[in-house]
Amino acid sequence: MLQRVSDMPVVVRKPSTEGDRRQRARIAIVILAVALGAAFPFSLASGASDASALAVLAELLGNGAEGAMSARDRIIVMDIRLPRAVLGVLIGAALAVSGAVMQGLFRNPLADPGLVGVSAGAGLGAISIIVLGGTALAPLTALLGIYSLPLAAFLGGLLTTLVLYRVATRRGQTSVATMLLAGIALGAMAGALSGLLVYIADDRQLRDLTFWGLGSLAGATWLKIAAAGPIIAAALLAAPFLARGLNALSLGESTANHLGIPVQRVKSVAIVTVAGAVGASVAVSGGIGFVGIVVPHLLRLVIGPDNRYLLPTAALLGASLLLLADSVSRTIVAPAELPIGIVTAAVGAPFFLWILLRKRGVVDL
Amino acid sequence: MIELSEVAVDIGPKRIVSGVTFAAQAGDVTAIVGPNGSGKTTLLKAISGEWAYRGSISVAGRELRTMKPWQTAGLRAVLPQATTLSFPFTVLEIVRLGLTSGRSGVEGAALELLAEEALERVDLAGFAGRFYQELSGGEQQRVQLARVLCQVWQPVLDGQARFLLLDEPVSSLDIKHQLIIMGIARDFANAGGGVIAILHDLNLTAMFADRIVMMHRGRAEAVGKPADVLVDERISRVFECGLRVGVTPAAGAPFVLPQSASL
Repeated sequence: MLQRVSDMPVVVRKPSTEGDRRQRARIAIVILAVALGAAFPFSLASGASDASALAVLAELLGNGAEGAMSARDRIIVMDIRLPRAVLGVLIGAALAVSGAVMQGLFRNPLADPGLVGVSAGAGLGAISIIVLGGTALAPLTALLGIYSLPLAAFLGGLLTTLVLYRVATRRGQTSVATMLLAGIALGAMAGALSGLLVYIADDRQLRDLTFWGLGSLAGATWLKIAAAGPIIAAALLAAPFLARGLNALSLGESTANHLGIPVQRVKSVAIVTVAGAVGASVAVSGGIGFVGIVVPHLLRLVIGPDNRYLLPTAALLGASLLLLADSVSRTIVAPAELPIGIVTAAVGAPFFLWILLRKRGVVDL
Repeated sequence: MIELSEVAVDIGPKRIVSGVTFAAQAGDVTAIVGPNGSGKTTLLKAISGEWAYRGSISVAGRELRTMKPWQTAGLRAVLPQATTLSFPFTVLEIVRLGLTSGRSGVEGAALELLAEEALERVDLAGFAGRFYQELSGGEQQRVQLARVLCQVWQPVLDGQARFLLLDEPVSSLDIKHQLIIMGIARDFANAGGGVIAILHDLNLTAMFADRIVMMHRGRAEAVGKPADVLVDERISRVFECGLRVGVTPAAGAPFVLPQSASL
C-alpha cells in the first residue's frame, strides 16, 4: 500500500548544489579577505599628505630602500595612518559583527545597535567617564586607567541591551514594533542623561566630547587601540561560537532548544558580545552608524543567512567598508576632514530605507 | 520508551494538564487525541522539554528535567504546530538545521545527501533551492518534518530507540500527503523508533495508531488500543457531540475514508 520513498529504485547521485550556498559563501570569504588586504594599504596611502602607496608598502614590510620615504612621511604613515587603519579594521569588524549577532538574537533583520539605543547607552557610559572622570568617578578612572572609557561604554551598552531584550521579548517571541519603540525610548533616555552631562561639562571636556561625538577615526592612537582592542578582539573571537546557536534560533527559541542548543547561554553570550563590541567601538570612535545593518543585509542577499559564514564575512566586509569610508572622509574635503559618521550615514540611511521598502510585506509592524 | 507518571503542567496560575500517566513504547505510534483546549499541545510541550512539569517524565530511563538540551536532542525530534522564520533560508538550509545536534546516525558522504533524501521522503524532491517563505503552508509543514527527520534519521542509534514528537503533523495537508506523512511515522515506528503524534482526524488515528491517549479537560480520559478507546459513549462525551463508530452514511451519500486510499 504505502511505498517507502527509500524503497524506490536508487539512482547513483551526487549532492546537487541547489539551495546550497556554502560554496558561494566560502568564495565570498576569500574575495572579501583579498579586498581587505587591498583596502588596508590603500587606506595607508590615502590622505592629505602624498606619501606613495608603494613606499608605504615597502616601509611596512621593513625593506624600504633608504630614503624612499621622508622622515615626515614615515611619521605620518606609522604614527597617524597605521593606528587609524588598524582601528578602522577593528571597529568596522566589530560594528558589522555586532549587527549580525543582534539581528540573530532578536530574529529580526532590522535590529541594529545604532537604531535600538545600544550605541546611545554605550555613549552615555563613555560621556560619564569624559565628564565625571576627574570628579565623581575619579576612583574608577584611577583604578581602570585607559580601560575606564571602553569599559564604561561596554556597561552602558550591556545595560541597554539587557533592558531592550527584556522589554521586547516575551516567551521567546520578539515583537518588532516593541523592539524598535523600546529602542527609541532607551535611546532618548540615554540621550537625555548624556545631555545633562554635557550641560555640566567644562570647556575642555566640551571640546573632548565634540570630537568624540562626531563619530570619527581621527585621533586614533596606539593607546586607544590598546584600550579598545582587547574587548573588540574578545567579542570577535566569541562570535563564531554563536553561529550554530543563532542559526537554530532563527526557527524560534523552542525549536532551537529541541535541536539541542542551550538557548539561555547562547542569548547571554550574544548580549555580552554585542555590548562589548559596540561599547568598545563607541568609546574610541563615537557613534558610527549603519555599518551594523548595511553589511549583514548585503551579505545575506549574496550568501544567505547562515551565521557560520555571515559572521566572518561581515567582519571582513565591515572592516573594508569602514577603511574605505575613512579614506573618503579624509580626502574628499582635504586638507580638512569629514567625520566618518557623516559618510556612513549618508550611504547607510538611504540603504536602510530601501530595506524597509523591500521588506514592507515581510516585516510586519 | 517515554514514560509519564502523574504529569501536571501549570501555565501561570492555571493548571492545564493534570494527572497524566502513560508510556509511549518504541515500535508504537502513540496518538494523542481530544477536543480543542483539552491540553494536547501543552502535554506534548512538557514531553519535549519546553514547559516545566510536576510528576515524572522519563526519556530512555532518565528524568527529563535533569537532561541538557544536547542530550534530549539525540533522543527525540520535535515538529511544532507552526514555525515562523525570520531570515531568507532556502529549503535545503532549513532541513540541514536538523543536523545541528550531530546525532542523525548518518555519516560521511551519506550525510551530505541526507537533507535531499529527507525532502524526497516528504514528497518535496526538487524543492531544495526554493526559498522557505515562498512555499505554501502545507509545503512548509513538510519541510519542517524533513528537518525533524534529519535530526533522528536512524530510529535506533547506539541501541537507543528515538522518538518523533509531532504536533498535528498533517493539519494543513491534502489527503495524499496526510497518508505519506503518517506512513513515514509508521515506518519510523516499524524500524524500532517511537512516535507520539497529536492528531485530529479520528479515521487516520484508527488507521495508523497502535495506542491512543484521549485527552479531556487536561486529563487522560482513556489510554489503550484504538478499538478499546474509540467507543461511541466515550467519544460522544469527550467531543461533546453524538458520534457513532463504524456507521456509514445513508446509501448514496458520498463519503471518503483514508482507509480506502492506495498510494
